[in-house]
Amino acid sequence: MTGREVVELIKQKLGIPWNENSYRDTFKIGNPDSQVKGIATTVMVTFDMLKRANEAGLNMVISHEDTFWNDRDDTTDLTTIPLYKLKTGYVLKNDMIIWRIHDHMHAMRPDFTVVGSLRSVGIKGGDDAVMRPRVYTIPETTFGKFASQVKRLTGSRAFRCVGDPNARVSRILLGPGYATPRMTTEADVVIGGEQQEADGGFDDVEYVLDAVSLGMAKGLIMLGHVVSEQPGMEDLAKWMRSFIKDVRIEFVPAEEPFWT
Amino acid sequence: MKNNPVSRRQFAIIAGTVGAGRIALGQAATLTAEKVIDRLKAELGGDWPAAGPDGFKAGDPAIPVAGIATTAMATVEVLKRAARDGANLVLTYEPTFFGRADGPARTGVSTRGRGGPVGVAPNDPVYQAKQEFLARNGLVVFRLRDHWQARKQNDMVTGLAESLGWTKYRVKPDDVLYDIPAMSAEGAVALVRSKLNLRGGLRAVGDRKAYIRRVMLHPGAMTNATMWQRYTDADLIVAGEVREWENTHFAADLHTAGEKPGLVTIGRVASEDPGMRVCASWLKTVVKEVPVRWISAGDPYWRAV
Repeated sequence: MTGREVVELIKQKLGIPWNENSYRDTFKIGNPDSQVKGIATTVMVTFDMLKRANEAGLNMVISHEDTFWNDRDDTTDLTTIPLYKLKTGYVLKNDMIIWRIHDHMHAMRPDFTVVGSLRSVGIKGGDDAVMRPRVYTIPETTFGKFASQVKRLTGSRAFRCVGDPNARVSRILLGPGYATPRMTTEADVVIGGEQQEADGGFDDVEYVLDAVSLGMAKGLIMLGHVVSEQPGMEDLAKWMRSFIKDVRIEFVPAEEPFWT
Repeated sequence: MKNNPVSRRQFAIIAGTVGAGRIALGQAATLTAEKVIDRLKAELGGDWPAAGPDGFKAGDPAIPVAGIATTAMATVEVLKRAARDGANLVLTYEPTFFGRADGPARTGVSTRGRGGPVGVAPNDPVYQAKQEFLARNGLVVFRLRDHWQARKQNDMVTGLAESLGWTKYRVKPDDVLYDIPAMSAEGAVALVRSKLNLRGGLRAVGDRKAYIRRVMLHPGAMTNATMWQRYTDADLIVAGEVREWENTHFAADLHTAGEKPGLVTIGRVASEDPGMRVCASWLKTVVKEVPVRWISAGDPYWRAV
């Protein structure tokens, strides 16, 4: 099987029409017509993840996020940067192929990134979740206890919380990656990946700080982009195994990049 | 620096009301919020377009000013302290009402964002309660971002350096690089955390044991283009925030490749806090009639245990 054939199969099985205008969901580097020895799914094709995939004999990487540190994977300004040469050189030398699936994952039903993210923080009932966030109700607890549970379940070292640890909470809104939902009156806790911290479309950080100061029980958890969208890439691998039988497909996680 | 000579009319009012107590005297001085801002605009210069982020966000610009507070973000906690300290004019670097729209969406202002319509709903309970708090305490809020940032002194950077105790280590007077006493990345991160009183907002990428000497300071949001252009200039970049799929990803890849620098993000507001302290010091030279103070907005984040 070639990389191009793998992508064609995915397009057929998606259950939604392929959007040819997506600049994200394209081949990023490598020869699409090379033979695929194995496939690695991941949330972010970091150089570290790329090396581990190659060492495991997986020469096609299917990444949810970008390869070259910008959303469009525009390489115009990168050609003189040694790291760019190193990363592209590694891919080409090892006959690897990188393909991104972002927009179509978020349009799929369910959206595996949301399904996986909900599962990873211990929220049940999200197996049919889509991008548009909905409120999940958990048994009432304090925000601090809930945050501790998220830490234990995700194993994340560096996720950030805003709000009152003693607030009684039960209604959760979750949107992974950069799709952190805006807090509403229907929710006590918002869980997101990342968000512009201020001066954006809606600043959850300030909103939750102020809600708490004004006596409302609210909390915000920013999991980090990798931690929040990673689990769904395991679901993608599982789904792909249902229709690609001849090639090994493995989920190869990107590492949470932070220390504190 | 401009003088603020007392006009003949004002003098007559002051002279005629000296015996009448504080309130009358306050009226006599008539240093309104609007006058403070006019003076500040004249000092800072530049255009002040109505569609820009800078401008009055809450309160009555005609009220007499008793005191002024500067802050990186006019949160309710900051506003409470301002009210307690008698500072009824608050200058904030970041929005007051949860986004670039700084309230319900305004027409003619580009406020495109993810996750649906931008701007708060006029009946949003947090928005309403904050407005009520502002009104009850007679506070006026003015956003001062673009014009403060545009000053050639670049005090968002010098303020951050000052808070870190690094002022004297600046490499060039107009740049963002500092040659600090050599230490490990871990050591530098511990220093940054402690000097800025950070809680959960600090996150570092790269080699903990790396030898750090040259540090680049970038308060606020750092774009990927800036990082690509300048990463070779420093051993460690201290930024407010970045996009994780851009600069965090880049820094992680640099680490894998065995290259410098490391990247430390300390949070947007925490990175802008010190610059607004410098703003208060500067404002004292422009407005001498009333007290001017800085109120730290602080690190909004904590970490789960």
